[in-house]
Amino acid sequence: MLQFITKRTATLVAAVLVSSFAVFLIPYFTPGDPVRKIIRSRVAGDAIDDSAVQGLSESLGLDDPLAVQYFRWLADFFSGDMGLSFVSRTPVAEQVLPALSVTLSLVLMSLGLAAALSLPLGIISGLRPGSTADKAITAITQALIAMPEYWVAPVLVLVFALKLSILPTAGWNDLSSAVLPALTLALRPISFFTSAVRAGIIDAAAAEHVPAARARGLSQGQAILRHVVPNGLVPLSTLFAVWFAGLLGGSVIVEVIFAVPGMGRLLFDAVVNSDIPLAQGGVVVVVALAVGVTTLADFVHRFLSRTVGGTLA
Amino acid sequence: MRSFLRPRVLVAALATLTLAGCGFSGTQTQAVQPTAVADTSQRIVVDNFRAPVANWAVESDAAYILSLSGCLETLTTFNQAEGKVLPSLATEWKQTSPLDWDFSIRQGVKFQDGKDLTAESVVSALNHVLDAKVPARAFNRTMISSITAVDAQTVRVSTPAENPLVPYRLASVNTGILAPAAYKPEGLDPFGHCTGPFTPVSEKAKQSLTLDRNENYWGGEVQLAGAEIRFITNGATRAAQVQTGEADISLSIPVASLAALKAADGVSVLGADSPRTATMYMNNGRAPLDNVDIRKAIREALDLDALAASVYEGAALPATGPFAPSEPWAGDKQDQQVQDLEEARKLLAGAGYTADRPLEIIAIVERAEFADVAAVVQENLKTIGIPVTITSKEYASAEPDVLAGNYDMLLSQRNRLIDIADPIGFLTADYTCKGTYNLSHFCDPEYDRIIAEAAKTLDTGERYKLYAAAGQILQDQAVNAWLVNEQATDATRTNVLGYVQDPLSRYVLTAKTAKAAS
Repeated sequence: MLQFITKRTATLVAAVLVSSFAVFLIPYFTPGDPVRKIIRSRVAGDAIDDSAVQGLSESLGLDDPLAVQYFRWLADFFSGDMGLSFVSRTPVAEQVLPALSVTLSLVLMSLGLAAALSLPLGIISGLRPGSTADKAITAITQALIAMPEYWVAPVLVLVFALKLSILPTAGWNDLSSAVLPALTLALRPISFFTSAVRAGIIDAAAAEHVPAARARGLSQGQAILRHVVPNGLVPLSTLFAVWFAGLLGGSVIVEVIFAVPGMGRLLFDAVVNSDIPLAQGGVVVVVALAVGVTTLADFVHRFLSRTVGGTLA
Repeated sequence: MRSFLRPRVLVAALATLTLAGCGFSGTQTQAVQPTAVADTSQRIVVDNFRAPVANWAVESDAAYILSLSGCLETLTTFNQAEGKVLPSLATEWKQTSPLDWDFSIRQGVKFQDGKDLTAESVVSALNHVLDAKVPARAFNRTMISSITAVDAQTVRVSTPAENPLVPYRLASVNTGILAPAAYKPEGLDPFGHCTGPFTPVSEKAKQSLTLDRNENYWGGEVQLAGAEIRFITNGATRAAQVQTGEADISLSIPVASLAALKAADGVSVLGADSPRTATMYMNNGRAPLDNVDIRKAIREALDLDALAASVYEGAALPATGPFAPSEPWAGDKQDQQVQDLEEARKLLAGAGYTADRPLEIIAIVERAEFADVAAVVQENLKTIGIPVTITSKEYASAEPDVLAGNYDMLLSQRNRLIDIADPIGFLTADYTCKGTYNLSHFCDPEYDRIIAEAAKTLDTGERYKLYAAAGQILQDQAVNAWLVNEQATDATRTNVLGYVQDPLSRYVLTAKTAKAAS
């Protein structure tokens, strides 16, 4: 266990260093002057006075060597200071934490919805492979993979906001405003989760211990509930963590369309505007959270495997 | 050859919201229902297209949000309909010497924190803008040398050179006046520190600003109880919100949503000329486009009617030159360019053009429609024997080469009035020999002379004549190909009263903006 925790901590530190350095380099290795991008994010328009560029570059320390700039940020970060945004000149933490809380809520709602729907669908599908129900569920869930968010989101708005008038089109105010973005984000996980649960159920149902359980006097339903269904949960825990990590910073399109003030928009804007401290701070938080959640998922996976294995034995 | 209308993924997807519609209103003032009566207990929701990014810094574009929401006020305002600078926090002004302008501060005005508006508070506020690290375009140390209080009621603005446009500059939202308590070391705090009809009371970061009526407003009774300004960057979402009634006013409606809104019950669509012309910049400093006849041939070959009708779906009008026809400095010669392939071929032959290499058009990706515009231009030029390649780039990646003169043609658009309600900044930066944003690499001493004279001309009519003369030089020299004049389009619910559209979205909520009970 200690070895496992040590390894994961080392992974976390390495991930933070690599990701923060990669994000730091983006403005310098993409076309365009980072200082001009910062200015344009504050004042729209193309013509920029060279003296303004020079003045801002000096005041932000952007004319220092890259190594100096990076290690300055790193030293501040490890002393607990994520710095000030280049664009707003407000503390990075004050922008990252509210956005993170919004995204965490959205992602947990989406994945919770996905898990709640995919578990029964996967079980139904896996218990009767090749049946009409299985074929229908597989066809529908496979179709969900092919539906991009930038298409699904406007369609949901059209149906639920414009036609039925039962949900708001956008915003982040109450539970009703979270329904459409959460549903949009949930569609693809539903597909993957259902496939994984289905495969787990098929494997478990084919195992020798199910007939053995029946022979011990358990009914078909009891055998499924005790020995088959838990197997469906094992792959779900890993997939849940993977999707959780992916959606933390990867829900930009949904956040833009539904005007959700989350991490995706924050990071996207920070990169576009060359707001290096904000991008670094945001990415580091997302990466740390992603590593933490996948570590937790590993624990859960081990626990479930042992529990299920124990049951099976 | 690219397809005529390349699939635009996101736009096409969002267009699924689009339904059938009717004609364009073409008005700036919302039609008032004859029987509608303002209900002063109503609150209003405005969907704005930008969010504040700079912690409300008044020298940044956040000032537009504070201004449109009826919080921030300036010494003067620019009335689009009258084309005039009008009094606001200053009651009058005069040029007291070639380098000095004196502004009389309105008496009896109180900031929303109860403090009096004084000459000293105005001086302090304006100096804050001048001292900003990223200075405002309209008001900075290059054109303003000092701000001083002459007496308790008078503020003197001094300039390093004679400048007839100081009153215009003080209509810029970046020169908004806030109470001294608003200027804090950690940033600007507009809450309770404006003079306008609405006072901001709360903010949801990146989402919205909530305002209440200013009961002590100096400009008369405020007709609304309050307002919420939402920051909705996606155009289709803004359109959907005004259609469902979640928003009362939605600014800057995208073309793809116009038909749906025009067909929707309870929605008015308002359009006005915007000071933006989609332009194909041509590099006048490099062969073959250093030859005026080749530039003219390119201009003659373009079918602007087809461009406006197809790519812009009728929501933009074919350009007649560097200015929109409705602008007071556009001049008399505003004939629409008509495609003349015969003339284009003659000009090319006369110029000795040989298609040694294809010309490159850079289409900036920030404007999705430019890829389609480039495809139309490519087809037009092919018919007169000019091969063209198209490159799509982010503006930031194209800019260094364009400014250095290493390009042929660039599709872009500029706001002529981005700093002040006068095109002097645009005409100077973009077309004078030493212009800081002379993408065309155009240089004409006569043009420079006219612009220098205009910059010193106090009489508005005379100045506009000089702008027209300068514009005619640009047209005669075919410096660029001006393609279409864009329209500013807003949508309102029909129970919104007294809304006057501002193409630059500086003034949206005023004391007179009202709402009838629905």
